[in-house]
Amino acid sequence: MSDLLEITRRAAALAREKGATDASAGSYRARHVEVAWRDGKVEKVSEATTRGLGLDLYVDGRYAAVSTSDLRPDALDRFVEDAVALARTLAPDPHRRLPDPELYRGQAKVDLELDDPDYSKVDATRRRAEAEAIETAARAVPGASAILSVTTSVSDTRSESALVQTNGFEGERQGTDFWIGAEVAVQDPDGRRPEEYAASGGRFRSAMEAPEAIGRRAAERAIARIGTRKGESAVLTMALDNRASGRMVGMLFGPLAAAAIQQKRSFLEGKLGVQVGSARLHVKDDPLVPRGLGSRLYDGEGIAARPFPVFEQGVLKSYYVDTYYGRKLGIPPTTSRSSNLAWALGGRSQAQLLADLGEGVLVTGFLGGNSNGTTGDFSLGVRGFRVRGGRLAEPVGEMNVSGNHLELWNRLTAVGNDPYPYSAMRTPTLVFEGVQFAGT
Amino acid sequence: MNQDTAARPATQAGTSEGIGYFARFGVTERMIAQTLATALARGGEHADVFFQHRVGSDLGLEDGAVNRAYATVELGVGVRVVKGDQTGYGYTEDLSLPALLECARTAAAIADGPSRPIPERLHVRAGLPDRYPLIRPWEEIRPQEKLPLLAGLNERAFAADERIKKVNLFLRDESGAILIADSSGRIVEDRQPMTLLYLSVLAEANGRREQNGYNVAGRAGFDFYSPERLDRVVREAVARTTILFDAVTPPAGEMPVVLAAGSSGILLHEAIGHGMEADFNRKGVSIYADKIGKRIAQPFVQIVDDAANAGARGAINVDDEGNDAGTTHLVQDGVLTTYLHDAISARHFGVRPTGNGRRESYRHAPLPRMRSTYMLPGPHRTEEIIRSVKKGIYCMNFSNGQVNIGAGDFTFYVKNGYLIEDGKLTRPVKDVNIIGNGPQALERVDMVSDDLAIDEGGWTCGKDGQSVPVSQGLPTVRVSSMTVGGRGS
Repeated sequence: MSDLLEITRRAAALAREKGATDASAGSYRARHVEVAWRDGKVEKVSEATTRGLGLDLYVDGRYAAVSTSDLRPDALDRFVEDAVALARTLAPDPHRRLPDPELYRGQAKVDLELDDPDYSKVDATRRRAEAEAIETAARAVPGASAILSVTTSVSDTRSESALVQTNGFEGERQGTDFWIGAEVAVQDPDGRRPEEYAASGGRFRSAMEAPEAIGRRAAERAIARIGTRKGESAVLTMALDNRASGRMVGMLFGPLAAAAIQQKRSFLEGKLGVQVGSARLHVKDDPLVPRGLGSRLYDGEGIAARPFPVFEQGVLKSYYVDTYYGRKLGIPPTTSRSSNLAWALGGRSQAQLLADLGEGVLVTGFLGGNSNGTTGDFSLGVRGFRVRGGRLAEPVGEMNVSGNHLELWNRLTAVGNDPYPYSAMRTPTLVFEGVQFAGT
Repeated sequence: MNQDTAARPATQAGTSEGIGYFARFGVTERMIAQTLATALARGGEHADVFFQHRVGSDLGLEDGAVNRAYATVELGVGVRVVKGDQTGYGYTEDLSLPALLECARTAAAIADGPSRPIPERLHVRAGLPDRYPLIRPWEEIRPQEKLPLLAGLNERAFAADERIKKVNLFLRDESGAILIADSSGRIVEDRQPMTLLYLSVLAEANGRREQNGYNVAGRAGFDFYSPERLDRVVREAVARTTILFDAVTPPAGEMPVVLAAGSSGILLHEAIGHGMEADFNRKGVSIYADKIGKRIAQPFVQIVDDAANAGARGAINVDDEGNDAGTTHLVQDGVLTTYLHDAISARHFGVRPTGNGRRESYRHAPLPRMRSTYMLPGPHRTEEIIRSVKKGIYCMNFSNGQVNIGAGDFTFYVKNGYLIEDGKLTRPVKDVNIIGNGPQALERVDMVSDDLAIDEGGWTCGKDGQSVPVSQGLPTVRVSSMTVGGRGS
């Protein structure tokens, strides 16, 4: 047993001592190191071991949640005492309870491989060398004379957490992650200084691409932005680059939360079992992917993690239901938030998809904008490339796309074979027909 | 602003007594001095130590009852060492001397040279301005005093319109304390209160639903919630939601955009504010790099970034590096005057810091950040501005915005507004993103009214993974052309 689990047990016991009927205690400790490098030298090194504790308190049918980084025993004692007193001032809430302990059972018997044994091999010298190698590669691409500045970063984290719930759950986990990235700014002859980035990372160091590949990609992407113009307002086919499509997918998934459903703030309320997208929209939530960025054996409530379908051939199969809002809605919990998304992939690469679509826009990045989760209306700034004759043409920017999700996802005509590996959403390139672009 | 820099010894007698607010955590002048000495042991040019204690309390109302409370405590310290443009940073939640020295050694490693001395005595900086005086600190306000406020607002929101079906309320208060000590021997302390009230409503009519809200925030105490302000919260939240039933989506394309007085200051925040943060200019990656002294807007355009708006969410008495924070003129008579500096960029450009060095918490090194950004009143009349537009859009309320610093493209998302047709506000509009290019949009600001309003909302600015509270404001302004991300034609 780790000392972190022991600390967490003591916090849960303290909550009971101070008058809580039940409690959920979670604590974490993480070591995070980040090196930022810019234009030939280290820009910043940040290094720390950080910690914190959170408690959900169930006090005579009332609820308060607290978190603190002040773990001195006396301070903690007073803090929990105050929090219990605070809870007692509130209105009772019959729906606030710890999960049914049945849901704790049946954790998958698999090794998710979230803790890289090579973590200890990373040292300051190696981080600096990688950060420098990214820049060197960026500055070696054709057209590099346009480069104004290269900022690179190398970071790693090892974290441990423990969760103890007084109705019979105890869990602890450890994990690592590693990231490298580059941002490259270039001079456009028109006076603009467009910037692009590339990043790679994962639970294991071995998941990362070579630093040189990231430097090259960031530089090539930035150079490709030179000459960006605003395109004309038109209804066009939109291909969403796999790196960008996560934003659009997030706007579809947010309203699947039981809180949004129960509070009537979801355009997906009442849509279970209903076709809300084209048959290409086929996505599973899979928490058990080895080395997955969203992988877990139990969720934040201690509920044993299981894969489940979210969309099957465009039909909505499940919401994300936590214990509290599940009780309010009278439906069983699934899990409170998404883990890894597993898409039914298409057979074609992005280049092939662009060749198929002929005329349109490849959107490579969003800028601001928002989506109204209640109505499904969205309006988002975009940049990318015009696609003409099935090939990438001029870069376009300062444009906008708008629509409604209930229409958009029905116009999903193709899904690429290229899940983005550096996000738990693992989104592929997505192609939508008939999207309103605003420009000139 | 108050420019007094009177100094007094950090402690009256001896050097091991607890210091200021942080004495309660066992922090002494001697510990700080040892930490700073360790931080400069490897040749750093500047070191600072940032202590923070922030206690937050939230009450939430949902489905008719105040049935959830959240309490947070952040306690920690960050140690920074600077050499030229280079920064070493370490932080910890443990305020003991060994933990502080460990952070200092970590941060010190950015430099590689002989140790530098620090002054023998540290001095507490006195005479800071008092921009957020409190009648009663938040620690003294019991939950029983706050609960009726939420229950009352809930009732009034439901009573205001029968179409209201859900009401969500959040009341947050925060008591913050910071202490910054640096290798010049200066110690600065500030106490930073904050409060925010958010009312969100969901309305239903004829099978359609609309949701919107209103929020108010400031560095203030419980008396911030005057009857007038609470009236406004209910009135605005309900009006901003129910009008959406009549709203249309505007057409797509370029057209004149009129920005209503108040939260439209988001235009400045995105179109120029971020681009003027000196770190981006030090690196040469901002579209505003090399533009100081150049005309970028009409002569009646004056833009400031101001720490001194008493009680504003973006107000600060001192920045997070311990430097004076006042009113910074970004644009005077249409000419770009100064960037927003932290200590590193000020040294780089050889100018005085502007008090814009801010950080989210002890876990982060400071960066140049905005405070309260607004445009001063101009020569035009609001009626005249609206009358001047044949076909365009009038933007009133916003949810968020973003900018690409180098390309200059920026956006802001409009939650409420109107179409302007033949010089008149006609149909309401909703949910539309507007996109422009910073320098171009400023050039195209061709009318500025005299009705400046600083928005009272709870704006939060994000940069490099750090969030800080800000304010913004604008008089009614016309931008002759921007791209409106609507649908149809």
